Amino acid sequence: MPVSLLPRLAVLGRCISRLTLVLAFLSSPLTALAGDEESSFTLQGFGTLGVARSTTKDVEFVRDLSQRRGIVDEWSPAIDSVLGVQGSWRINPQFEAVAQATGRAGSRGGFTPELTWAYVKYDPTPYLSLRAGRLGTEFFMLADSRWVGYSFLTVRPPGDYFWYLPFYGIHGGDAAVSANVGEGVVRGKVFYGLSRGKIPLASEDWNINGSPMMGAYLEYQIGGWHLRGSYANLRFEHDLPIAQVLPSPLTLSTAAANFLQTRGKRTHYYSLGVVYDQGPWQAQLMLNHIEQGTEALESSDGGYGLVGYRIASVTPYLGYSWVYSHERATPLGFDPVTTGVIRYVRQDSHTDQKTTFIGVRWDVVRNVALKAQWDAIRGASDSYFPYRKDHRATWDGKTNIFSLTLDFVF
Amino acid sequence: MRQRLLLCLSFCWLLLQPLAEAHAELVVVVNARSGVAAMTRNEVINVFFGRSRQYFNGVEAQPVDLVDSHPDRARFYNALIGKDVAEVNAYWSRQVFSGRLQPPTKVNSAEEVIKWVSSRPGGIGFVELAKADARVRVVHEFGSAPGTLANK
Repeated sequence: MPVSLLPRLAVLGRCISRLTLVLAFLSSPLTALAGDEESSFTLQGFGTLGVARSTTKDVEFVRDLSQRRGIVDEWSPAIDSVLGVQGSWRINPQFEAVAQATGRAGSRGGFTPELTWAYVKYDPTPYLSLRAGRLGTEFFMLADSRWVGYSFLTVRPPGDYFWYLPFYGIHGGDAAVSANVGEGVVRGKVFYGLSRGKIPLASEDWNINGSPMMGAYLEYQIGGWHLRGSYANLRFEHDLPIAQVLPSPLTLSTAAANFLQTRGKRTHYYSLGVVYDQGPWQAQLMLNHIEQGTEALESSDGGYGLVGYRIASVTPYLGYSWVYSHERATPLGFDPVTTGVIRYVRQDSHTDQKTTFIGVRWDVVRNVALKAQWDAIRGASDSYFPYRKDHRATWDGKTNIFSLTLDFVF
Repeated sequence: MRQRLLLCLSFCWLLLQPLAEAHAELVVVVNARSGVAAMTRNEVINVFFGRSRQYFNGVEAQPVDLVDSHPDRARFYNALIGKDVAEVNAYWSRQVFSGRLQPPTKVNSAEEVIKWVSSRPGGIGFVELAKADARVRVVHEFGSAPGTLANK
C-alpha cells in the first residue's frame, strides 16, 4: 500500500467513527422522545429488500415510468429495493424542518441516493399547515408515499394506476386546511411548484425540470372511511426526445415534430379514491382519468379495487386493476411517411390491460413485514406504455409478475 | 376440607387475576380544565390519528401515546378501531415519510400519561379507569370486551 494513502485512511476511519457516534446520538430515544414544547430531532427510516420476476423476455416490467430498466423472467432486486432516511428537526410546536434522502434503482441503473424532500413546515394554527421547499407530490391518493412499502398492504402500489406517474417532486409550496365537520374531518390542500427530474425514454431522457405543476384535493375522513377527490395539472417545459429514439429508418420531420410537441402542453390528472380501513378489513377503490394535452400521448383511464382481511398477523389480499388509453384519430393533412411516424410515437403511449393480483402480508415482528404477491397481467398485444424495451413483434400483452419483499421502518 | 376449599378458591382467584387485569376498562382522559366533557369514538379517532388537532371548543389537542411494548397500546387501538399495532405503525410511517405529520409522543407508563395530560391544557391520553384521578376527566369509555364500545 502506498504510504501516502495511510493518513487518508486514518482520517476516513475517524470520520466514520464520528459519524457513527453522531447517528447513535441522533437516533437515541432521549432525543426522539423530547417533550412537545422543546425542540427535538428525530431520525427515522424505511426500506424494502425485494426481488421480482416476470414470465416474459418480450418487455421489461417496471414499477413506474421513472425507471429506465425493468425486470424480465429472472429474479432481480432492481425495481423494488429502496432505502430512505429522514431527519426531522422540530424547532418549536409551529416550525419543523425536514430532510429525506432516498436511494433506489436510479434512472441510469445502479443505486442512486437522492435528496427527495427538504422543506420547512409551518403550522400557524391547529387547522392550517404550510410547507415550502422540495416536496413530494400527491397527484393521487397515497402517491407521495409510494416507496414506503411498510405503509401499505401490497408489494407495490397497483401498477395500472401508478405507472403513469413518474413525477415525484416539486420545488414549491403547499397549504392544507382542515375543519371538523360533524364527527368527521374535512381537509383541503393546494400545491404549486416547478417539477424536477428527468423521465427516461429509451436511452434518452425527457427533461421535466421547471415544468409548472399545480393541484388540489378535498378529502373527508370519518371513522374507518377516507374519501378523496383530486385534480392536478402539469405543463411541460420541454419536448419529448422523439428524434433521438425513433428506430431507423423513421425520421422526424419538422411537421411531425411540431404536431407532436409537448413543450407548452398541459396534462390534467383527475382522481377519486375511497378507502375503508377498520377492524380486520382494508378496502380501497381508486379511479383516475388522465387528459393529455399533447398529440404525442394518448389520454387514459385507470383504476383499482383491493380488499384485504387480517387474520392475526397475516393479511391475505386480492385486487384487480385496469388501465386503457384512448386511441387518437389519424391526423389529416400529412404525407404518409409523417403519418406513419405520428402513429408510431402514439403507439408507444398506448395501454390496454387488466391485472388480477393476489398476495399476503405477514407482520413478522415489530416494524417488519414480509410480502409475497402474484400479478397476472392480461393485456392487448399493443399495450406498450407501461414497459421498457418492448419487442413489439413478439409481445402478446400477457405476463405474470412474482414478487417477494421485506419491508421495514426504523 | 375447609382448608382445601380455601386453597382451591385462592388458586382460582390467582388464575383469574391476569384475566381480570386484562379486562380492566380503558378510558380516554383529557385535562380536567380543557372544557371537554365527552367525546365520541370518531372524535377520539380524529385526535389519535392526527386528523384533527383541536377540540370542538378550539383548544388544541395534545395527544400522548404509549410505547409499543406496553400492552395497553394494543388494547387501545383494538378497542378504538379494531387495528393491530403493526397497522397503526404502518399508518404513521405513511404520515411521517410523506412529510404530513409526526406521531404523538410516546411515554412508558400510565403514570406518565396522567402526568402529560394533567400538565397540558389540551392533553389527551388513555389509561385504565382505576388510574384516572381528579387531575383528568374521563371523556370516553370502551366496553370491557375488546371491540365493543360504550359511546357517550
